[in-house]
Amino acid sequence: MVRIIQQSVIIFTLILLLAALPNILGVNMETQKPEWHFERLPQIYTDFISNLSQGSLGTYQIGAESRQISDEIGDNFVISFLLIAVGVNIGIIFSLFFGVFVSRFRFTRVFNIMLNLLAAIPDFILIILSLILAVKIYKETGFRVVSLRPDAGPINLWFPMILVGIAPTLYLFKNIAVKYYQISGDDYIKTAVAKGMKLNYINFQHVFKNIEPFIVAELVKVISLAIGNLFIVEYLMNVSGITKFIFLSNAAQPLAVGLFSLLVISLLVYISARLLLYLFKRGFIYE
Amino acid sequence: MNRLLRLNYSLYIGALLVSILLFFAIFGPYMAPHTLIETMETHYKNGKILAPPVEPFKFKEYPLGTDRWGYDILSMILNGIRYTVFISLAVTIIKMAMGTLIGLYVGTWKKVPGWIEAFENAWSYVPLFIILYFFLRPININSFLTPMQLILYFIIVTSAISIPSIISSVRLKSAEINKSVYIEASKTLGAGRNRMVWFHIFPQMKESLLVMFILEIVYVITIMGQLALMNLFVGGTRQTFDPIIYNSITKELAGLVGQARGNVYGTFHVLLIPLAVLLFITISLSLLANGLKNRFQSNYQRTPWIKTGFEPKLMPKRKEFGQGKRVWRLTPERVSLGIIAVAFVAAGSYVYAEKDANVGVKNYSQAGYDIQLKMHHNGVFHAKANIKAKNLSGKNWNELVFYFIPNAFQKGHQYKSVKGFSNVKINSIKVEGEKAAFILNKDTLKVKLAGKMKKNESRTVAVDYTFTVPEEGNRFSKVEDRYYLAQWYPMLATFEKGKWNKKDYQDGLETFLTGFSDFKIKYDFPKGYSIASSADEDPALKKNKGEIKAENVREVFIAAFKDMKHYDTDSNGVKIRLFSEGDHNKDPKEALKLAKNALSFYQEKIGEYPHKQLDIVMDKGQNMEYPGVVTVDPYTENDRFFKIAIVHEIAHQYFYGVVINDQYNDAWLDEGITEFATNMYFHIGAKESIFQAQLFSQGRMKRAEELNLERQYSNLPVNEIKSTAFVYGQPALKLYEMVQDHFIIKGKDPETVSMQYLSDYYNHFKYKQVDTAQFLKFTTNYFYIPTGYFSDWLNVEKI
Repeated sequence: MVRIIQQSVIIFTLILLLAALPNILGVNMETQKPEWHFERLPQIYTDFISNLSQGSLGTYQIGAESRQISDEIGDNFVISFLLIAVGVNIGIIFSLFFGVFVSRFRFTRVFNIMLNLLAAIPDFILIILSLILAVKIYKETGFRVVSLRPDAGPINLWFPMILVGIAPTLYLFKNIAVKYYQISGDDYIKTAVAKGMKLNYINFQHVFKNIEPFIVAELVKVISLAIGNLFIVEYLMNVSGITKFIFLSNAAQPLAVGLFSLLVISLLVYISARLLLYLFKRGFIYE
Repeated sequence: MNRLLRLNYSLYIGALLVSILLFFAIFGPYMAPHTLIETMETHYKNGKILAPPVEPFKFKEYPLGTDRWGYDILSMILNGIRYTVFISLAVTIIKMAMGTLIGLYVGTWKKVPGWIEAFENAWSYVPLFIILYFFLRPININSFLTPMQLILYFIIVTSAISIPSIISSVRLKSAEINKSVYIEASKTLGAGRNRMVWFHIFPQMKESLLVMFILEIVYVITIMGQLALMNLFVGGTRQTFDPIIYNSITKELAGLVGQARGNVYGTFHVLLIPLAVLLFITISLSLLANGLKNRFQSNYQRTPWIKTGFEPKLMPKRKEFGQGKRVWRLTPERVSLGIIAVAFVAAGSYVYAEKDANVGVKNYSQAGYDIQLKMHHNGVFHAKANIKAKNLSGKNWNELVFYFIPNAFQKGHQYKSVKGFSNVKINSIKVEGEKAAFILNKDTLKVKLAGKMKKNESRTVAVDYTFTVPEEGNRFSKVEDRYYLAQWYPMLATFEKGKWNKKDYQDGLETFLTGFSDFKIKYDFPKGYSIASSADEDPALKKNKGEIKAENVREVFIAAFKDMKHYDTDSNGVKIRLFSEGDHNKDPKEALKLAKNALSFYQEKIGEYPHKQLDIVMDKGQNMEYPGVVTVDPYTENDRFFKIAIVHEIAHQYFYGVVINDQYNDAWLDEGITEFATNMYFHIGAKESIFQAQLFSQGRMKRAEELNLERQYSNLPVNEIKSTAFVYGQPALKLYEMVQDHFIIKGKDPETVSMQYLSDYYNHFKYKQVDTAQFLKFTTNYFYIPTGYFSDWLNVEKI
């Protein structure tokens, strides 16, 4: 309980500090050095809290127009949540499937080598390359893989979902493969093999159970990767998600609201991933 | 076969690729064919219009093409790659060092405080690039900070914010090892914490730390790339507003990808090429990491009991204890490493040595002169010149072409400025001791060669000839009993762009161009004669026989005279001697003072004077410059002109003597820049107003106007030039105008910038040949201006 409170306080301070950065950091033209204005911090913090306590999320500026954040945040929130949730959960399923359960077959080996190669490439390069590919495909065949209109409906979402999912998948796959190889040398595997158990049985009952805590431990990192890519994907593909509040404004209020929404999203995604693992255990591993 | 399959390919290839990468990071900028400010300008070629963006592999000048503004992609990459590599290295070194140090110790604590774990969790939730995004957004775009400052802030902040995640992973590993039995044992034996960390835990981890190090480099590059997609480039973003374009200042590779983001809909190459290079960087680093991991894994990993599909194929390389004393064995790994190191150093030295190779116009003929010169009492000279000519070009020569200017003044010549005439007779010409055929036409001497002269071959040509000097001639001149020997020997012409560059002699401006050569001259004059020459150390006065040497000069001038008054002084270690006739109204001491002031001014503002001695001869004739010697005519009515002539000829020691140019096709380069330098001496050195200092140049232009001459480009060949105003005055005035327009880019005021520009120009083209194209390339880059800026006084189409 203490741990949770500690974490919440740290995250809360951190996010507000980040949101305030554009307001407290500047360059002094005369001395040509960066200048910090920490004296503005208390004002920013109290403004944010008082806004919340009045039940409002505050406003954000588009050009000269001032809009209520609360009016729009719902749709944006859902879109961003969908992108990350689908991306992360696909990543878990995919990496478990190829990293553990079918990794020993010859046909998946080639596939695994490809995944390992892809894992070596920074995800932003993959994102750009897939964008170029999508444009090429459209030019060659006329098939529209991607739409950059924010109101294009489903076609606007499935491609970003895949792009957001790439990084978590590759990261998890790489680590699970290593972990799997390590576990396979352990003594309890030796015992299981000696008892004449089938490989699939060992994978489900022994290996998975030992890999699961590892996945849970990595989940935070995986979600953070997905969020990182969410920024890029939403920015590049013109998806109207939660990051628009972060890119469109310099004011602390929308920035903080955007970052906190992301925090909520990652909590929800975390829960969904845990749920997925739980269901998997209930479905395949009898206890 | 099995052995081959089991080679650790990723280690070998990775190490090779990383070395190539480091090579480009260090030497890349030297290899860049263009500068970062040079743009390809739209122009016609063979009836086709050429405009950026240029596709890759289409033009030799732009191997990887250009972006839509005409910037060369290859040059941007070669310049940017070092930022990417060194910034990511710096960040990784800092964060790994700090993270490992803290993580190792925290791992040995009995219990890790809850707040640390809470902080780690909170921290790992926020993607690092978001933190950097917020940090850089206020300071990075059109920043007042310098690129270096921005890079420094980036390195500090990025390492600081990534340390927690390193600590966390090192801490976990260290804690795991800390639980081992042997730690327990060493604790019981009384080992302290430091000993445990550095002798028991760290050795277990150092290999995985190495792998982690390399992967973290890739991670830093990833962060830079993510920021670049948001238009935040490491080292600063330059944003223009109409249209809105974001440009990376350092051309760091992730930045190049970011700034080319808009090319996703077409002109793919602008985006794909930097992306490919970035991919190359990350893949080579990953390969190296993977190779190292394979190696260590095969050494330490337990064999799996089930089939996983991830088994490495490598054979373990176990340490063999007890055999450690056999110091050095030749293993394949060491051999390959050695080969890479040798290749690295060799290629690096080559690139470094060749970096200035494309500065200046190349002359592929080289000559060394060894001459015996005898003067008889009747004024007849007899010379035996041994000229060693070398072919540096790829073409085979079947003749050698010389300037032989004395022959142009034979009786019946048409030159108005030459009063008398000369008698010239070639007695014999031998090539390598064999008599050779030759054609002598005006001042062109063509010596036929028996066989073809191939690349890097030399021939010694011996020319035996007699000559007399025309009375009151032009440069090559006799005044009473004083002889001024200029261009008096056969001078090997330059071999440029695949042919001999030899033009006919003309009255007026110089028409000859020779390369830098070494001279050895034995002279024997009648008693009573003294000489002043281009040699660094002239013999004492009244010494009528002797030998003089001059090295790396474009020509040798000799003045021979009996009794002239002479005055000495020196300027910053350079001896100045002034010789003067007494029958004119100019004060030699004043002239010497002016010469000294001008020389010290140029020594201070432009650069080192190329000789040890400067001789000034005041006598009837032309105002003329030769290496180490100048002649000035004191019989002019115009006092101001006399002063200008002294300063002008001294300035020529830099912009004629050291920076050379084709006097026939680009006469304006030395004359115009020298006049500019002269005006600057009067303005800055003598503190005259700019109006006063430039009055003479203005006067030249005015006179040309009064003659109703059409305006001419300055870079015309000598035979097309109608007035010297376009060669002297026009460039001098226009150059100052250019500095006034653009000095803000380089410094505080036009005065300092003018001299800095002249100095940089001088040092850039020192002992090189410059032409209008090279001048434009240097100057447009210097002041960030397009070539079109010069189109009202230079014919830029021709280039």
